[in-house]
Amino acid sequence: MATKKKRTSNVDNDSWVVIAPDSAIDTHKHDGDPVFVRLRNPSTDEPKADAASLYMLGCGDVMLYEVKAFEDDFHSWFVGQAVQRDGRLIFVTPLDPLFLILPYLIKSGKEGKFQRVDQVVKDEEFPACSRLLSCARTLASLHHIAEEKEAGSQMYHRYSQEKTMNWLKKKVERMVIALKKRNISVGEGVKSSTYVRVKSETENQEEDFLRYSHGLISEYISEDLSKALLTLLGLPELTSPKETEPPSKKRKLSDKPVEAGEDYTKFNSADFARKPPKKMTAAQKSLAKVDKTGMKPMSSFFSPKVKAEKK
Amino acid sequence: MSCNSSVIRLCASSVGQAPQAPVHLMPCEIEHNGPAQVNQYFTATTKDQKQDKSVSFRGRGLKGQKISCPQGYTGLVLKEINKPGSDQEDRTVKVSSVFDKMTYWNLETPPNSDDTIVMAMDWPDLAEAIHAPVED
Repeated sequence: MATKKKRTSNVDNDSWVVIAPDSAIDTHKHDGDPVFVRLRNPSTDEPKADAASLYMLGCGDVMLYEVKAFEDDFHSWFVGQAVQRDGRLIFVTPLDPLFLILPYLIKSGKEGKFQRVDQVVKDEEFPACSRLLSCARTLASLHHIAEEKEAGSQMYHRYSQEKTMNWLKKKVERMVIALKKRNISVGEGVKSSTYVRVKSETENQEEDFLRYSHGLISEYISEDLSKALLTLLGLPELTSPKETEPPSKKRKLSDKPVEAGEDYTKFNSADFARKPPKKMTAAQKSLAKVDKTGMKPMSSFFSPKVKAEKK
Repeated sequence: MSCNSSVIRLCASSVGQAPQAPVHLMPCEIEHNGPAQVNQYFTATTKDQKQDKSVSFRGRGLKGQKISCPQGYTGLVLKEINKPGSDQEDRTVKVSSVFDKMTYWNLETPPNSDDTIVMAMDWPDLAEAIHAPVED
């Protein structure tokens, strides 16, 4: 493939292939239809135009879902007796609402005061964010990320970094167990022939799992929190690509959270790009150019951008 | 960015009326959206050998297999109805078909457990590990 045939852009798309939890589309419940809404992606730090991602609220706003598109180059669907050009497979999966609440709490926490969450979780740019407070789990789990104070019949909250870090650490630990249980291989990068192992096999494995889990969870938190979590887990920041294996960032499971572009019904893949440079260290950038041909497909699946560059 | 306030409503009651449709993930981009004689020219020439399927499509040998949706999940094809004129209006999508299995096709390579789509089916389980509530 020396020259790539220029493809026309895919603009007239009006259908999507989706995999969604049965509970989200249960028609026996009468709490209104699920809605796709745009909310601030918690991994974006600054208020930017590209901070929006698509989420879904269901069961009368009680459940929050993430919307992610799995995408491989050059795919299309046959659905019944029709062609759908857009070959993406969109997954709708439950999302912990605390991840989306966190940026608001952190911001207001800088004032150091206890505040009512409904005063805190407000966003002119994303008016739907107040609906997050209807999610069943939100109010019941705020104590994981904030100190609580009751005055009168009203609850007041103040962001707690310490609690948040503990909460995130528990998530990483649970992720490690889940990965091991599913036998998902995480450390192929170290099998490079130029790489000299310093640590023992098992020690390395453990670190691989931790790093990998950290990477998955970092998709939902700010860069600052991600770094703090790395420190808490006792993982050194990667300084050189030769020193250790590829950063977990490069193999996030689902690289395509559906970000909302100009027209979010496109489920925005074209201008997606996820802006990794912002979060990439120099080492990660150079890693992106490293030849990964020895790696197993699982990791290539986790890093389709690397795959794309190889072509 | 006023369009951030618009929503897409998923008309859930349409699930009940939506027919089961055969769904194929093709290993090529087809620059077309709309009707095609899939049964006549594709399904009819597909060969089944136990789990493995094969077909010739545009002179290329495709190898495929059926996979199921993850447990507790359903496949939906969503279609937009009454596209509004501006991006500030709310939109509605309905379920036009449902599926619990799909067939994915590789170009030449026999289907195996390392195929992207097979691994993608693990996502709900991993997402559960990330997003389930943390115990106190």
